[in-house]
Formats: sequence, C-alpha cells, structure tokens
Amino acid sequence: MNKLIIHNLSKTYSNGVVALDQVSLEIENGMFGLLGPNGAGKSSLMRTLATLQEADSGTAMLDDIDVLNQPGEVRKVLGYLPQEFGVYPKITALQLLDHLSILKGITNSRERKELVRYLLDKVNLYDKRNKSVKGFSGGMKQRVGIAQALIGNPKLIIADEPTAGLDPGERNRFYNLLADVGKEVIVILSTHIVDDIRELCTKMAIMNLGRIVYHGTPQKAIDALNGKVYQKVVTREELPDYARHYSIISNKMVGGRPLIHVFSESDPGAGFEQVNPNLEDVFFSKINTSNVLV
Amino acid sequence: MFKTFFLSEIKFSLRQPMVYIFLVLIGLLVFAATVSDNVQIGGTVGNVFRNAPHVITMYTTIMTIFGLLMATAFFNNAALKDFDNDFNEILFSAPISKFGYFFGRFCGALLLSTIPMLGVYIGMILGSILGPAFGWVDADRFGPFYPETFINTYFLFVLPNMFFAGTIIFAMANKWKNTVISFVGSLVIIIGYIIAGSLMSDIDNESLAALTDTFGIRAYSVYAKYFTPIEKNTLSPGFTGLLLINRVIWIAAGLVILITSYLTFSFKEKNKKIKVVKEAETPKYRLVTLPKLHTQFNLITDWLQFKSFFFTNFLSIVKSVTFKILFLFSAIILIANLFGGFEYFGLQSYPLTYKMIDLITNASGIFVIIILVFFSGELIWRDRDSKINEVVDATPHTSFISMAAKALSLVVITTFIHFFFILVGVTYQLINGYTRIELIVYLLDFVYTSLLLYIIWSGVMIMVQVLVNNKYIGYFISIAVIFVWSIVLNIVDVQSNMLAIGGRPSLEYSDMNGFGPGLTGAMWFNTYWFLFSLLCLLIAGALWNRGSISSLMQRLKIARKQVPQQYRLIMLVTLFAWMGVAGFVYYNTQVLNTYKTSDELEQLSASFEKKYKKYEKVNLPKITDAKYFIDLFPYKRDVQVRAVLQYTNETNSPIDSLHYNIDEDWKPEFFIPNSDLVYEDKELGYLIFQLRTPLQPGDSMELEIETKSVSQGFENSAGNTGIIHNGTFLNNFEILPALGYNESMELSDKNTRKKYGLKPKDRMPELEENCTEHCMANYLTDGRSDFINVETVISTSADQIAIAPGSLVRKWEENGRNYYHYKADHPSQNFYSFISAKYEIATRKWNDVDIEVYYDKKHGVNVELMLDAVERSLTYYTENFGQYYHQQCRIIEFPRYETFAQAFPGTMPYSESIGFVINLEDAEENNIVDAVIAHEMAHQWWAHQVVGANMQGGTMLSESFAEYSSLMTMKHLTNNPMKMREFLKYDHDRYLRGRSGEVDKEMPLYKVENQMYIHYGKGSVILYALQDYIGEDKVNTAMRNFLEEFKYQKPPYPTSLDFMKYLEPQIPDSLNYLIDDWFKEITLYDNRLNEASYKELENGKYEVRMNIESYKIKADTIGNETRVPINDWIDIGVFSDKDEENLLFEKRVKIDRPEMSFSFVVDSLPAKAAIDPRHLLIDRVYDDNSKTLVLE
Repeated sequence: MNKLIIHNLSKTYSNGVVALDQVSLEIENGMFGLLGPNGAGKSSLMRTLATLQEADSGTAMLDDIDVLNQPGEVRKVLGYLPQEFGVYPKITALQLLDHLSILKGITNSRERKELVRYLLDKVNLYDKRNKSVKGFSGGMKQRVGIAQALIGNPKLIIADEPTAGLDPGERNRFYNLLADVGKEVIVILSTHIVDDIRELCTKMAIMNLGRIVYHGTPQKAIDALNGKVYQKVVTREELPDYARHYSIISNKMVGGRPLIHVFSESDPGAGFEQVNPNLEDVFFSKINTSNVLV
Repeated sequence: MFKTFFLSEIKFSLRQPMVYIFLVLIGLLVFAATVSDNVQIGGTVGNVFRNAPHVITMYTTIMTIFGLLMATAFFNNAALKDFDNDFNEILFSAPISKFGYFFGRFCGALLLSTIPMLGVYIGMILGSILGPAFGWVDADRFGPFYPETFINTYFLFVLPNMFFAGTIIFAMANKWKNTVISFVGSLVIIIGYIIAGSLMSDIDNESLAALTDTFGIRAYSVYAKYFTPIEKNTLSPGFTGLLLINRVIWIAAGLVILITSYLTFSFKEKNKKIKVVKEAETPKYRLVTLPKLHTQFNLITDWLQFKSFFFTNFLSIVKSVTFKILFLFSAIILIANLFGGFEYFGLQSYPLTYKMIDLITNASGIFVIIILVFFSGELIWRDRDSKINEVVDATPHTSFISMAAKALSLVVITTFIHFFFILVGVTYQLINGYTRIELIVYLLDFVYTSLLLYIIWSGVMIMVQVLVNNKYIGYFISIAVIFVWSIVLNIVDVQSNMLAIGGRPSLEYSDMNGFGPGLTGAMWFNTYWFLFSLLCLLIAGALWNRGSISSLMQRLKIARKQVPQQYRLIMLVTLFAWMGVAGFVYYNTQVLNTYKTSDELEQLSASFEKKYKKYEKVNLPKITDAKYFIDLFPYKRDVQVRAVLQYTNETNSPIDSLHYNIDEDWKPEFFIPNSDLVYEDKELGYLIFQLRTPLQPGDSMELEIETKSVSQGFENSAGNTGIIHNGTFLNNFEILPALGYNESMELSDKNTRKKYGLKPKDRMPELEENCTEHCMANYLTDGRSDFINVETVISTSADQIAIAPGSLVRKWEENGRNYYHYKADHPSQNFYSFISAKYEIATRKWNDVDIEVYYDKKHGVNVELMLDAVERSLTYYTENFGQYYHQQCRIIEFPRYETFAQAFPGTMPYSESIGFVINLEDAEENNIVDAVIAHEMAHQWWAHQVVGANMQGGTMLSESFAEYSSLMTMKHLTNNPMKMREFLKYDHDRYLRGRSGEVDKEMPLYKVENQMYIHYGKGSVILYALQDYIGEDKVNTAMRNFLEEFKYQKPPYPTSLDFMKYLEPQIPDSLNYLIDDWFKEITLYDNRLNEASYKELENGKYEVRMNIESYKIKADTIGNETRVPINDWIDIGVFSDKDEENLLFEKRVKIDRPEMSFSFVVDSLPAKAAIDPRHLLIDRVYDDNSKTLVLE
C-alpha cells in the first residue's frame, strides 16, 4: 500500500498569487479526484508533486521518498500527464513511446517493445503506431499522453485534466484503463468535470483559491448536504433579489429560465422544492461560499 | 487604388519599429567605420578621405547585401500580411483592383526597403562631423561631400538592388506564402552573387564577372579598379559603361520576374489538395496483460538515455528544412569554389590535400556557425516548443545527459557536413587525376581544427541558451559572443587565445613540415577549451530549467538543493582539470613565452624612435669579414649561433662606441675585446659598448657575438615559422643583433605615427647626381657592410641537409650530426640564408656551374623544368650581361608559411607553394614558375653584383632589371609575340592597381622609393617596351656597360642616374622623348580604336582602314592626370583571328593628332584590328584598343 502524505504545502508566485495555501492531504492507492475551478491551484499542486515546481514550504512524502528534496527518486516511480501534452514533429508514436520508456528506465529492449505495443493497443492507437504523431488529432495525441503516463511501474500517476478533448467513447476507455492500473497505485486525477470524479474516485478533494476546502469521499460530501438543497425556477429579473435573500449554490438555465439551487438548513418555502444533492452541489457549495451568482 | 495600397503599406511599416531598427543598425555600423579603425567595411579605407565618394560607394554596395535581408522582411510582409492575419478572404472579396493591390504593395515595400540604406549616408555624414569634433579622427582625413555621390549611389545601387531582390522575394512570397521560403529566396540571391564571383577569379573574366553580379559591386570594382587616390576622393560613380549595362540587365530581369508574378497572381485561393488517407487494415495487436517490467537506473540507463536523446535530437535536425537548405548552400559554395580551381598567374596548382583543407574550412565556416547558433537554440527549446517538456522533465534522467546529447548531435551534424566536404574534396582530386590523396591529413586537420571548434561552440552555445532562457535573446548573445567578443578583445588589446573562445595557435599544413610549429600549443589550447566546453555543459545541466519557467536566481537555488553530490564532484573535478590546464597554458603562453600585443609593439616602436633616433647618424664601423658557426636542432627547434666578425672603421674619424639594437628572443652575448657595456635598455633592446681604445680610421678589430633561440613549451601563437622540424629558414639579419640604430623598427603609417606625436617618416633620400654621403650605403645592407668574404659552418640533425651560400668546402659527421662548411666563391653582400630540411637533390652541370634543386620528395614533378629554367637564365645572362661569379646555383624549397622566392648569393630559397606544386603539364613554354626562377637568377647580377644606393631609384636597378631579364628569357622561349602580351598583362595590372592603392606618392620609375608596383609592375612594362622600341641589344648593352663599371665595387654605390648615362647613348634621337615619358615622368596612354574596316582588293589582298583615337596623359604624384599633346610612335596592327593569337601585320606609326586614320594592305584575311596590339603601353582601358573588322 503506497501512501502520499502532503503536509502544509504552500506556494506563492512572485507576482503575489497564492497558488497553494497550507495544503495537507493523505492519499492512498486508488483513484483520487482533485476538483476545483480554474485557477484553484490544482495544476500547481500536481506540478509540485510531479517535481516540476518548487514549493515555498511544507512537505510531501511518497512512502519514504521526500518529494520536494528527492526529485530524482520520485521521477523513477512517477507517471505524469500534463494539462497540455504536445509531441515532437516528425516522430512516430512508436518512436516517441520508446524514447520515453528509455527515459523511464526500461533498459531491456524486448520488454520495451512489448510494453509500447501493449500501451498503444490499450489506447487504441496500435494501427497508427508508425504514423507521425504530429498529424494526430487532439484526442489521439491525448491518448498517446495517457499511454506514456503508464510507462514503467509508476507508484504515482498524476493526470492533469486527462479527459479534455476526448470523445465519450475514448473517455470511457480511458477510465477503464485507469481503473485497471489504479488498484495498486496512487492515481491523482484533476478535473473540473464533476462527473469524472463521481464515476471514478473513491476519495476526493476540492480545491479553491489554493486551499483544500473538502477532503474525503464523494458520498460523504453528498450526505452532508442531504435535505439542505432546494431548487426553484425563477425569472431572470428576480435573480438578484434571490441572491440577496438566499445562499445560492448555483444557477443554470433550464428551458431558457434560470434554475437556482440554494443551501438552507430548513425549507425556505417560497416555492422552493427540496432536491437530492449531487456532487455538483457539493462542488459549488464548497467553492461558492460567498454565495455570489455564478 | 495603387495610391491607397502604396500609402497604407508605408504608413503601416512606419508605425512599426523594424524600419527604424534597421536604419539605426546600418547607420551605426557606417558611423563606427567612419570614426574608428577597428571597424571596417570591406577593407581599409587607406589613404583616401574617409568620406571619399569611393568609400561611400563601397559602403553602399556592401550594405545592400545586408539590406537584402531587411528587404526580405519588407517584401515578405507586404505579400503575406493579409494571409498571416487571415484577412485575405475579407479583403479579396472586396472590389479591389489587382493592379493597385499588387503594385501598390510592391512599390511601398520597395520604398521602405531603401530607407534603412539611408543609414549609410546618415552614418557617414554624422561620422565626418562628430569624428573630427571629438578628436577621434583628424579633420584632414575628411574631404568635401559631393551631392551626386548620394544621388548616384542611391539610384545606381540602393534602388536597383532592392528592386531586383524585391521582385524575386515578392514573387516567391506570393507563390508559396511562406516566410521561410522568402528568406531562402534572398539567400539564393546572395549565393548566386558569391558563386558568380568565385567562378571568375582571373582577370580575363573581369567583364563577365562585372555583368553577372546582381548587386553591381563587381561592376563598380572593375570600373574603379585603376582609380588614383585623387579620383577616389572626387569621382562619384556615373551612369556609364559596364556599370550602366549591368544595372539595365538586372532591372530588366527584375521587371520580367515582377510581371510574370503579376500575371500569375490571383486573389482566388487555389483548391487545397486533400489527401485521401487510406486506412490500412492491419491485424489488431492484442496483449491482454502488461508485460513484466524491470526498470533499472544505473550507468547503462544513462547510456541508453543518452543514445535515445541523441537520436531524437539528431533526427530532428537532419529532417529540418533549415538544415537541408544550409547544407545545400554550403555544398554549392564549395563546389563553385572547386570549379574555379587553384589559379596562379594563369596556371593551376595541383589540388593538394592542404589546398582542399583550406577550401573546406572556408566553405563550411560561416554555415557551420549558422548551424551551431540556430540549432543550439532549436534543440534547447525543442521540448518546450513541442509542449512535451513537462513529460520529459518528469522522467528520471539527469539533465546533463540530455544536454550532452544535444551537444553531441550538434557536433555530429557539423562533422557530417565536414565529412561530406572531404568526400567532395577527394572526388575532386580524383577527377583531376591527382592521386596523392592524404586521408590522414584530412582526418587530422578535422580533429585538430574543426572538430574541437564544433565541440567548443556547441557547449558554449548550449550554456548560453540555458542561462538566458529565451531563445531569441539566446541567439542574439550567441552571435554577439562570436562576432562582438573578438572586436571587444581587439579594442582592449588582449591577444591571448585563452580569452578568445576556441582560440588557439593557427595551424597551416605544409607538405614539408606537417601541421607546423603551432601544433603542440594548439593541442593544449584545444584541451583547455574542450574542458571549458564540458564545464559549460555541466553548468547547463545543473541550471537547466526543468519544469515550470523560473528565473536564473531561482534555478541557482534549486540547483544548490538538488544537484547530487556525485554531479558536484564531477563538476569540481572538471573545474580543477580545466584550471590545471589553464595554469599550464598560462605558464607557457604568458610566462615562459611572452609576446607583445600589436598596441604594445606600436608603442615600443614609437618610444624606440623617440629615444634613439638621435643615434641614427652615429659613426659605425663596417663588417668586413664574417664567419658564421650555426648549430641547428630542428626537432628541438633550437638554434645556436656564433658569429666571428671583423669590423673596420671606414670613416674619417675614430670610433669609440658600438651601438646595437637587439632582439631579446635571441639572447645575444657580446665578446668585444677591450670594451665596456656603458648603456643598456632592456625594454627597447638598445646597447652601447664603449671601446677602451677607439678604432682609428682604416683599422680593424675582431669580435664575436653569440646568440641562441631556444624554444621551450608552446606559445600563444604558432610561433617562429623560421625554426621548424623540416624546413628551417633563417637569414643573418634575424640571427644577429643589428649594428646601430635600426631604422626599420620605426612605425611607417603616417596616421599611426601621428597618434604617437611623430612626424611622417622621412622619405627616402632624394635622387641626386654625384652623390657623396647617401651613396655610401646600398639598400640591401644599409651601410653596415659592402662586398665581403663570408664563411659558414652549419650543422644539423643526421637526417637533414643544411645549406648556406657558397661552395661546400667540407662535409662531415660528428656526434650523430651533419656538419657543412660553406665558403663564398667571391666577395658578396652580407645577405645570407641558412636552411635545413630533409631534401632530395637534383643536379645538372652547366659549364663550371653546379645547378642544384633541393626539394621535398613529394614535390619532384617540376624539378627538371626548374633546372631548365636556371640553365636558360645562366645562358642568357652570361651572354648579355656578364660573368657569373659563383660556382653553384641553388634552388631550395622551403615550407609554405611564406610565399616568395628570394635571392641570396648563388642560393635561392623558393616557397613550396609557388613553384613546386603548380601544374606545368599543359603550361605554355613561358610560365610563372620559370619567370620566378629567371627573376631570382637575374638578381645574381642585379642586386648581388651591382646594387643601388639607398636612395630613390635604387630598386629599379635590381627589381626592375631582374623582371626585365626574366622577361627576356621568356621572350626567347616563344616565337609568338602574343604570348608575351598574356604574360605582361599581370604586370600592367599590378602597376595600375598598385598606383590606385598608393597611400603616399607615386614616383616616376627612376625615382622609385621601394614601391613594388613601380619597380616590379611598371619597371617590367617600361623596360620591355623599351627593348621593343630601341632593340633588345641596345638595352642589354646599356645594362652590361653599367654593370661593368659598378660590379662588386666599393661605395659609392650607383644610382639610377648612373644607369641613365649608359642608356641615353643607346636611344636614337627620334625616341629621345621616351626617357622623360617613361623613366622620369608618369605617363599613361589612352588609346582607342574607333572604327576598323577592310575590303578585298582585286589582287586577292586586303586593305584595312582604321580610325584611332590616342591621348597621352601625364600624372602627378597624387594622381592628377592631364592630357598633353601627343607626338609618339605607336603600333597598329591586325590579327588573323578573333582570339588575337596571331598577329598578321604590325606597323609602328607616328601619332601626332588625337584622332587619326590609317590604311594598309595585308596579304591574308584579317579578323581584328588594334592599336598597340601587343600592349606595350600603359593604358587604363586596354579592351577598347581592338575591334573586329567589318567588311566595307
């Protein structure tokens, strides 16, 4: 059982933006979802864990490896898919993965060959293995990215927005693949798509403004909101009014009219009806603590 | 519509910074060149004004080449702006006129691209105002400006060049819509210019070269090549002649391109090709489980990672379009150079391996630099540009591995190019039937010079890119490091190769002496720089920006934390190794072997003159007998000298002190009986010995001087190329301290002298009749000795032969060394050479004289021909001038570090590169190799038997006479007078070019002041013409009689006036004017054939009529030329062929009016007519002297 313990990790950029603010997490084998709006600090956290960025203070231990001070050791057991995965021009998928396998320490060429073929097959690119990666579509490139994150025997897989640009079919295949490998290793998955977390993760954290605002299982978070979320279809003109009087979690358009969710310990009446909370409500209630209209 | 686009194009660009940056850049460059000597554009300005029309024109023409790259930006921008901004679909669907759009944009860009060129004028004008104002340059170095210079250069060069280049770039941009291809277009133009130039190196092809040059630069050089300084100062290029034709040709070519482009230009986008991709049905691969993986991290992993990095980097370079283009261009340049061959005065040199090496270095140089700069940036930024950096950065590899792989791929790429060039070189050698292919020399040269340079630059540039962490600033700094750094070092007067990146002693491969004396030093410097480069790579590896972008300070902090112990250790070891080597190199080049920088040398010369000029006229004895005992140790590069000299007081007063000017490197020791060292200046090397008993007039004394040159360690530069393993070559002036004030130490350039507060150097003593004081010294030994007896005992290593002038008295072996005792057969000038090498010897007996050629065993091919040449010279000279007083004539090969031949008494060292390696298989009977031998042989009479006084006209008596003698042996070899014209054209060219570059005053021939273009170039032309006009025997008689009076005589030495006394009686009254015109004044002719026609007569003969124009011109010493009335005899003639090889008829006619007509009858069909058909007279434009005859 691997364990990643992050303790009081902080990072402030030179322009004053606080990316990480006293982040502490404990993550074990399995899929871990990191949810948060854009700019919440998810990427900063993941890049710090992937040894690509320095932290100002705090510690992170992957088993007995000090992530911040032993980057070389971390890299040996790391699979990383960055938010933006590009490829070299004029190189085939096979060559690219082979090159990355060597970088990840797979020195036996027969093993490497089999591994690359296996991965290409898993991401459904086997018949395109000798094509130049440059000509791949965004989704295909992303699949190459996923394949490379699985190279080697990673203990820790970090995937930053892995499903961006994938069509639903590819997304499913990706999740299956992750679920396959995720049983024995730590997989940290960042996304702002709530559904991804619900479908995949046993544990999750919600980040906002550099802070962990929730850490636990998705279900617990939903349970905590049980009976406290109400919804109502309102008119556009009434919205500001509702915002003043209620703790609005979210509003979205349904059939051309705003449907608002509000948080309330008791039934607010006024035509509100209680709904079963979902992860989205959790997400918005956690990040929208000032209850502004979003 | 035209106006709209034209104005919008200009307005848009004037709002952008680019045009101003370019303007300032060019302005600054020209400004710097105007006010400083450290910046030069196309060579030194010389003696003309710094703002002379000629200088402005040169700057303008050269800057248009740079301007081309700027023009590319403007034209490319004009053509592609709308496409790049995706505005084309909107714009082209609007109702605009194609004409207005196309030409509006084009003309706008054309006008814009000429704006940066105005920087030449602005920089020049500012420089000539600020330069004198701030005291950077003397005000007298500037002359008036001429408005037509600016107007004419703009309309002759700037506008047409930008126009022509613009048509190509604009057309290519419109066709391919790709910036890279547009730049390729401009490169093609530049390459075309270079190739056109290298194909035409011979003066025969000058006109063709002038016309094919797209920039008009060569057309202008041909136009201005014989300009005198005064013409350079006053004349602006005009719309005439070749220059005008050239301009018209290229503007027309541009118009054709532009119109073609216009006709094919369309607003509609072509249908893009859609590739049909076939999905191949490949069997699906199925592997259910992940294979068992074994990751490992050890040295094997490092090695595999290194290899994998290397291959991906290497492939990315090889596959890039930029690389392919650069590679192609460098190959084209090399091949174009090879097509030109190795021309030497109309002959070809054999394609020796060292010639190929030099060519490869030249052809690859700039491209390799571009490749290294460009791809170092590309490779460093490759991951980030491809957005794969985070993935790669997060893999477990050491950054150094990746850096080293990048460096290696740069090195391998450049190596690849180099080997391709070697292949081309070898192929060229084989095609030319040359089979002595020295692969090992190719290889060693590559390793010693190029490979290490590639490694060094790769490391440095990778570090620059890593540290700067911005690709374009990185490029800028890389280029600055290459080009600006050397200028900075120059300005602060630092010459140590330890500071010039990649610097090392130069290596020059000689067939005789291999890579030469600089090799050891070069290897140490290479080690020093290699370690430096490794250190750069290690630093780059430690500070490599891994992960998110961070500043250098942050990266330093991270490195301090993260760089592993082992890595630090390696860095430390490398650092210590580097410092160790640096210490050793420093010790060798700065402590053990010191050197003086050029500024220091200048200063020393200046203070030497200031301090000791007062001793110039001090009474000194003459050397009246000399014995040299010389031990050469070629493999240690040591020389030990003992000279036993006899001094005689030939003055009228007692001499009480001896002055010496010494060279510290030779550590002289003096053994002067009864004397005391009373003055010693170590810094400037000036010694005075006081004689306890003064040397009375007529008395002699004997003394000894010992010197030695001991080489130790290695030097900053290649070192002394006179003392080497094979081919040591020294003379007595080098090995012995100079007696008395040494005038040759003085600075000569008048502007440098001014800097040190010295007046312009004294000119040579005026030519005077019945001279007393000045005729006591000749120009060879400058009064230190006259004709004396000399003996030499010289020893060398067992495998070498040592040679000094004189007959070999004895030869023996002692202590495993060869000893030789030489003794001059006749008193000679104390001008002696000492040579040692491994030689083959070819001998031939001519009467009682031994002709010997000492040559390297690789260079035997021309030796028989050389023996012939010596024999011919001996025959002609003894018959026509007088006896030969030595018992031997030796031609001795020495390495190519110098390219001359020189005559010592009976002994003529001859450089390996100018005679031994020239291909004479198809050469004419009269060729340059023969000519050089005949010239040096002639010096045995003209210099060694009779030598001129050290005053004006002195060198005419040796150099001009030697050239004349040589021409006479040539003349007797051939029966076709037109062959001599081929030969003489080099002399005409030498004279006319030389006077154009004269920095002081052009003197008439009989007052020549050791000016080479006069005593060689003009002297040979005049004397050759003279023997044609008055007869060879008359000239020879004058020379023989002159020789008879003065040979081997004690001073006073003869002057040119003494010779004129013998010459004048030989000249018929009708030609008396020649004395003044040719010898005593500067006379040129402007002859032209205006019309020439012929008709067949009834008797089967042909009548030729020709109208000629002829002017006689007198020039003053600074080049002012005035026409004078003509009343001269000039030849007219006809050729039977177009190539002017067969002179059918010739007649000398009296020309007494500028325009005259002649007619005469010839027997067979004439083809061309000419005035002065054999080119006897000096005529700045000779091409217009002949014309094809037309049938009446």
